[in-house]
Amino acid sequence: MGAWRHFPIFMITVPLLGAVLLPFLGYVREKWVPYASLLPLGTSALLGVLLIGRIPSGGYLSYHMGGWEPPFGIEIRLDYVGLFLMLVVCGITTLALVYSRRYIEKEVSGGRRTAYYVLYLLMSGAMLGFVATGDIFNLFVFMEILALSSYALVAITGNRNAVRAAFKYILMGAPSSIMVLLAIGFLYSVTGTLNMVDLAGRIAESGFTEVLIVSYILLVVGFGVKAALFPLHMWLPDAHSIAPSPISALLSGLLVEVCAFALVRITLSVFTMRASDLVMGTADAVGVAAAAAVLYGGIMAILQKDLKMMIAYSTVSHIGYIFLGLTAFTAEGLTGAMYHMLDHGLAKACLFLCAGNFIYLKGYRRIEDLKGAWGQMPWTCFAFALASLSVIGIPPTAGFISKWYLILGNVEGGKWLYAAVLLAGSILAAVYCLRVIYYMFFQAGKEGAWEEYWHDAPPAMLLPVWVLSLATLFFGVFSFLIIPSLLKAAAYLL
Amino acid sequence: MQESTFSAVPLVAVLLPWVSLLAILAFPKRAEKLRLWLCFLGSLATFGVVLSMLPGILDGNIYTIKLASVVENLEMRLTVDTLGYYFGLVLTFLWLLATVYSISYIDHKHNRFFAFMALCESFILGCAFSANMFTYFIFYEMMTFGSYPLIIHEETTMARRAGYKYLVYAIAAGTVLFFAIVAHYFWGNGQLGFGRYGVLSLEFASRAALLTVFFTYLAGFGVKAAIMPLHGWVPDAHPAAPSPASALLSGVILKAGAFGIIRVCFNVFGVDLMRELKVYPVVAVLACITIVVASVFALTQDNLKRRLAYSSIGQVSYIILGLAMLAHDGALGGVMHLAHHALMKGCLFLCAGVILVKTGKKNISEMAGIGYQLPITMICFSVCALAMMGTPPSVGFVTKWLLGSGSLEAGLPVYIVVLLASALLNAAYFLPIVYIAFFRWEGDEVEEHGERHHPKLVFGKEADHELVVPVVILAALVIIVGIWSNVPGFPYSLVSKVVNVIFP
Repeated sequence: MGAWRHFPIFMITVPLLGAVLLPFLGYVREKWVPYASLLPLGTSALLGVLLIGRIPSGGYLSYHMGGWEPPFGIEIRLDYVGLFLMLVVCGITTLALVYSRRYIEKEVSGGRRTAYYVLYLLMSGAMLGFVATGDIFNLFVFMEILALSSYALVAITGNRNAVRAAFKYILMGAPSSIMVLLAIGFLYSVTGTLNMVDLAGRIAESGFTEVLIVSYILLVVGFGVKAALFPLHMWLPDAHSIAPSPISALLSGLLVEVCAFALVRITLSVFTMRASDLVMGTADAVGVAAAAAVLYGGIMAILQKDLKMMIAYSTVSHIGYIFLGLTAFTAEGLTGAMYHMLDHGLAKACLFLCAGNFIYLKGYRRIEDLKGAWGQMPWTCFAFALASLSVIGIPPTAGFISKWYLILGNVEGGKWLYAAVLLAGSILAAVYCLRVIYYMFFQAGKEGAWEEYWHDAPPAMLLPVWVLSLATLFFGVFSFLIIPSLLKAAAYLL
Repeated sequence: MQESTFSAVPLVAVLLPWVSLLAILAFPKRAEKLRLWLCFLGSLATFGVVLSMLPGILDGNIYTIKLASVVENLEMRLTVDTLGYYFGLVLTFLWLLATVYSISYIDHKHNRFFAFMALCESFILGCAFSANMFTYFIFYEMMTFGSYPLIIHEETTMARRAGYKYLVYAIAAGTVLFFAIVAHYFWGNGQLGFGRYGVLSLEFASRAALLTVFFTYLAGFGVKAAIMPLHGWVPDAHPAAPSPASALLSGVILKAGAFGIIRVCFNVFGVDLMRELKVYPVVAVLACITIVVASVFALTQDNLKRRLAYSSIGQVSYIILGLAMLAHDGALGGVMHLAHHALMKGCLFLCAGVILVKTGKKNISEMAGIGYQLPITMICFSVCALAMMGTPPSVGFVTKWLLGSGSLEAGLPVYIVVLLASALLNAAYFLPIVYIAFFRWEGDEVEEHGERHHPKLVFGKEADHELVVPVVILAALVIIVGIWSNVPGFPYSLVSKVVNVIFP
């Protein structure tokens, strides 16, 4: 029994603990807070890296909280896919935190800065717990921490628009939480257990009843809102574009993906009736919604004038990609969806942080204002271009690999129409991304819009942007490091 | 595929153009001449490395190196077989000359132009050396986006519009191609590699499925290869781009599409399957239409580079027509035309560039008497123009001869009619240029020894050496390669090896 067996729980609790301790530090030395908040997240990332290779292949790592055996105790259940996603979460949250210091100094007034970091750590810890937990009520708890902290973070600047966006978010988010809670209550009333594996066994025994149908549909809708699946996405564009940029990066790059992942886990490991009419029927409906999301998000992104709005609508479109991969019910489709969570997370986070750089330095939010930006901010512009290529799915970026598997998965599932929708989605992505790139690099700016000399964002804001954009390239070229294990894990899940 | 040996040389060749990029990064602002000549060195070294593989290739060796593999069957691999080597040799050579030419031609934003020249060379060389469709597609897409800055380099409204059109076509084509490859992977049992006799077969997939794969491939590559009606971007992009870039567009980038179709026909489907599926008449009809219609369009253009662009559209379809004949000589002529056309059209575009730099004239109607001002350039232009019509002894004649012989072999003499019509139309749109350049002097006549006559031709003073030397080399090669096509390294020596295997 090595110490590493405890790492999963530490990965979750260290950021949460940090969030509890941070206000004290903020009271004594507010200046240290941004640096100190890096410590818990860095620790989680390190622990996650140490766990690589510890998970038995095709199996999982089970941790029993407080030594209580499941189904009575809370179980943390980490399979390869879960660990993969936890590492993505750790990486992106750490980078966006590095980015935050300068940005928050400018955007958020003094009294709220500590609150920002506290909420940030809460959100990161909750995301990690959300991915790893094997207990369905625990899942709900983490979802609530996640949701509440993200409502607050969207509104943290305190200006009118931000508060309105956060309110819209709550208006959609709160009912969805209630739906999930209701569904969990139903499940408990029928089966008498909250542990996912146990639930799966009991559901398989009892066959599925009307209560199960209702609870499954409630879960799909509830998580669908959180994951912003069309037509439940209305809160997303406002919240994602108005939040401070590092928060937009987390919301768009991680939160929606994590919620989509939760839905997958519930579908595949609780309602294991793959062939049953319930799951397949729901999957058909979700597939239609996802296809609509791909097209709707892409078209809306093309119509936007505000850069962050455009990126937010692109997220609506890409959530559709992920769900189309999931509803294909093939190993390739699932792999594509998982890989898309990675590369979309990286690329979207990068795009939002780049947009943040423009706002930080020049206050520019509109796409038109970016004409000629290259002359002054070459580093930001290059990173933006690289991440955009991944969003479009141009080789050799990671977006290409995930697009490959998404389309292949749909083709293997016989869903040719969805394969065509995915291709159309990437054309739409090309239109909205290349327009921005064209403005940045090949158009002259307005007189006086950009200074003649290079004056890019400070290094602490460039570094995360560059790490993220190079990561999209890295995971495109070195996709063989991950894809085979994902394929295996996906085959195991199905 | 036959036994292949591991070798890092292909990778070195693909990476060498990046030397130019390093040079640009090292001195972005200072030492301009030095920087540009370093770019030239990068290009020269690439050509040298490719050339060094020649003896091995002629011995029938195949060099291969695996770069990365996502899963089994889905890998990035560079393999130099004879066909890929042939394309690689042609493109690195033309690239070398175009780089020299650019040193004098490009007058602003050198860094961007040379950087993307180098990147594109690397990517297209990657296409040529790809071992499977997956790798080909990756390099192909990168090349597509890498060539955009070359097209809009002048940044005029016309260039921007052309660049926009190019992107629209390229993205649509890329999407179709992507679909084609996924379908190929799905119905081809996961075999994306290039087999010597093709990898697909009716055992694993239905007829309809294979037809879908074939025609999506044709549409995807057809945009770059400018098969009508997918040619729309070509006549805009060529006049808008700087001349060395137009030469490369026409000489190499269009060929990347044509080369893709060659790979699809020879190494993905294979000749037998093409016969069985009966797709070749459709391809042949498309190619014939393109050849004739593009030539007719060319007649009506007054802008020289636009006329050349239409001519390119027609000429690239010679390659497609040659493939569609499914006969030994037809395939030989078609594939050899890839190099032949690169030499001829490269030279013509570079000539057009010299005219533009020295006189500022773009339209043919303004070029009366230009041969007196730019004698060497216009002589080279005339040589290539005659070669385009198929006059012996030139590369154009070799192509026409082989294609004609191929159509007889295929039992369809109607192709000869198309070829002759094309030759006639070529004459109709090229000879007037030669005529007004040399035989219509509209300027003041010179009075000497009491006689009034045209000014004398003065050689050697017309333009910078960087501009003239590539033009002269290309024009000389048009003749030399036409006469001694079997010299090792020249098209016949390489292509015949490929074609002899496929059509024993």
